[in-house]
Amino acid sequence: MPVQTLDISPVGRVEGDLDVRVEIEDGYVTNAWTHAELFRGFEIILRGKDPQAGLIVTPRACGICGASHLSSAAWALDTAWGTEVPRNAILARNLGQLAETIQSIPRYFYGLFAIDLTHKKYQHSSFYEEACRRFAPFTGKSYELGVTISAKPVEIYALLGGQWPHSSYMVPGGVMCAPTLTDVTRAWSILEYFRTNWLEPAWLGCSLERYEQIQTYDDFMAWLEEDPKHANSDLGFYWRMGLDIGLDKYGAGVGKYITWGYLPHEDKYQKPTIEGRNAAVIMKSGVYDSFSDTHSLMDHSFARENTTHSWYDEGTGDVHPFDRTTKPTEKNTQDFDNSYSWSSAVRHAESGRLEAGPLARQLVAGGKHGQDWQHYDRFILDCFKKMGGASIHLRQIARMHESVKLYRQAERCLREFRLNEPFYIKPKEKDGRGWGATEAARGALCHWIELEKGKIKNYQIIAPTTWNVGPRDGAGKLGPIESALIGTPIADSTDPIEVGHVARSFDSCLVCTVHAHDAKTGEELARFRTA
Amino acid sequence: MVNVLWLQGGACSGNTMSFLNAEEPSACDLVTDFGINILWHPSLGVELGENLQKLLWDCVKGTIPLDILVFEGSVVNAPNGAGTWNRFAHRPMKDWLSDLSKVASFVVAVGDCATWGGIPAMAPNPSESTGLQFLKRQEGGFLGTDYVSKGGLPVINIPGCPAHPDWITQILVAIATGRIADITLDELNRPQTFFKSFTQTGCTRNIHFAYKASSGEFGQRKGCLFYDLGCRGPMTHSSCNRILWNRVSSKTRAGMPCLGCTEPEFPFHDLKPGTVFKTQTVMGVPKELPTGVNKKDYALITVVAKDATPAWAEEDIFTV
Repeated sequence: MPVQTLDISPVGRVEGDLDVRVEIEDGYVTNAWTHAELFRGFEIILRGKDPQAGLIVTPRACGICGASHLSSAAWALDTAWGTEVPRNAILARNLGQLAETIQSIPRYFYGLFAIDLTHKKYQHSSFYEEACRRFAPFTGKSYELGVTISAKPVEIYALLGGQWPHSSYMVPGGVMCAPTLTDVTRAWSILEYFRTNWLEPAWLGCSLERYEQIQTYDDFMAWLEEDPKHANSDLGFYWRMGLDIGLDKYGAGVGKYITWGYLPHEDKYQKPTIEGRNAAVIMKSGVYDSFSDTHSLMDHSFARENTTHSWYDEGTGDVHPFDRTTKPTEKNTQDFDNSYSWSSAVRHAESGRLEAGPLARQLVAGGKHGQDWQHYDRFILDCFKKMGGASIHLRQIARMHESVKLYRQAERCLREFRLNEPFYIKPKEKDGRGWGATEAARGALCHWIELEKGKIKNYQIIAPTTWNVGPRDGAGKLGPIESALIGTPIADSTDPIEVGHVARSFDSCLVCTVHAHDAKTGEELARFRTA
Repeated sequence: MVNVLWLQGGACSGNTMSFLNAEEPSACDLVTDFGINILWHPSLGVELGENLQKLLWDCVKGTIPLDILVFEGSVVNAPNGAGTWNRFAHRPMKDWLSDLSKVASFVVAVGDCATWGGIPAMAPNPSESTGLQFLKRQEGGFLGTDYVSKGGLPVINIPGCPAHPDWITQILVAIATGRIADITLDELNRPQTFFKSFTQTGCTRNIHFAYKASSGEFGQRKGCLFYDLGCRGPMTHSSCNRILWNRVSSKTRAGMPCLGCTEPEFPFHDLKPGTVFKTQTVMGVPKELPTGVNKKDYALITVVAKDATPAWAEEDIFTV
């Protein structure tokens, strides 16, 4: 069997076009390269601009996680300026972040992922006909409901910020809005609508309360058996079909995970500092190392970027983002032995390459580290151990598992607002360094800002996609998606849908087209898309 | 059946996300009820058994009729006009655009990046971005001043960062239902139906504007955002306060100053130090006045309005 090289273009665009190259031998992927194919240069654009320019510019880095960028940008300025942020503002920021992520859950699952379950490869699965009925694009019963209802949660964001996407209502010192009784009541009602029209009847097949009783893998299996409504909900159906078609068998990745943690507690982060953040967030930060089964806290000082294999003229060493200069290589030739991506390779100074995303968040949530009041949930960690580690399947389950807990957090924000107290405390502008972070739907996001003489000297962003799609690092180590692709079984090399599954399980945003060349003859074997 | 191909250049997907929030009609309704066939879309793409590149070439060759080409994101020309900083399906995206614009019946630019270049084209514009037929207010852009699509129109510009979902769906439906001839475009090729009135039209803070009652700082329920906080509502053409966002609100209603994002100059002043969320003034008078109002008249109105201001205009009328 000759080695076959497949070029997949594009796979996903979070920070640009993502393309993937894989080599296939004897039906398995033996090597992989992920390359980001769009450079807009936001860090360059921000140099020399108004300190608050990031509040306007960075949400436009990614229209899918605009609230997450805005959160990071605002907290970065808060830490740089040493502001005071009133508790109402912390709640209003968290609620915006939550609304965006809750929106993303059905939109991603139905719009981007579940479509693949209707691929003809699975026509022999006993689940296939039902999958087509539910998940076919535009016409599938669940697809239409899920994609349409995904617009509801962000109405809550619009009540706070005026619109979604791309509001800049979070500012150093708080938020621009001051919601009234009407806004809070409407927001409750929107949440309820989402719960009673999709989350409970379509997704779970049970009440939130029943789902919340699930603490372990065995609890989940018992839930699945308990009632046909559970087994036949979209969650129950996906679980059964995912196992039937073997989505639990590949796509593992690097086995180490990162989350910055998020949702600062409204009483614990009113005087935001970089150092004080870990002890103030409801969802704790952390690194989970599955090889040693250990959890530790994450800190921004551990972040390193390496551009050895990226299109930047910044040397080959590992640098902290504060020391980055962002010098794009003019001639971005694709050279898979040297530079082949606009993404840098992000590393943890001690733990190396890490995977970001909902799976990472939920594996960290199962750790006993951090403060005893912080959110703890061992369900996904237990599944991880019982199911032999990470897979495409578990990534989906982790992402969807968050829907209920995030819904509860959103309810909590609405309960906690004190409408006659301030939403904003005017800060004093000053020079300095700041750092702000959050968790976007698809993982760890943070911004570094350095202000000098009343303007931006350096602005650096590491997005979840940067962690996941980064190319090889200075030591030649593969990035998380590159690693996850290794060992992927390809049933039909003229139609390798499995590559798409893996790339998509990291919540890459877009459909992909695969083009396969027989390496020896250059003859084109196939092209396909995964959605 | 009206074939729509939607591509993204230097984009953030914000317009796609906005489009997916559409409700009447929803994105699914366009397909099921309005005869729109989405040939491909970065997030929704259904290829009907074809693959993307073959499909693109079939459009270029005319084998598949391309009724509407929707473009989101800027046209990336870096480095030095080569366009390789935005490769798509093994070609610079701008090369696909050149080919596809020749065969499309109508071309619709969705969002600021596609219309005028948007944020990527902000100084120093590292990606050498332009809009499809404009760069900022300057005509030409990527396709040139004289470009008209096969349907006889220039690029239809639907600006905004992002564009409102209804602006997008209504133009698609207008083309699909043969109503596009009813639509008048303004001098920037924006559909007047959305961009003739001002962002201020329908703003709940209008009464505060009239009496010069200012929101001095953020987090207030009262006052107008024009005088201190840099709101561009009176100088910006959009229907944001007539066709509300996400069916519930608008920036200015929520307390956020309008950034003027439907105008080619957005982001205004290139976000230079001191220009963000701050009204630019000379001797306390706003440098930029509501569209069509001259300085002398503005001064006169100010005096009269301040004299006439009722006490309640300074109070919080939108109480909890």
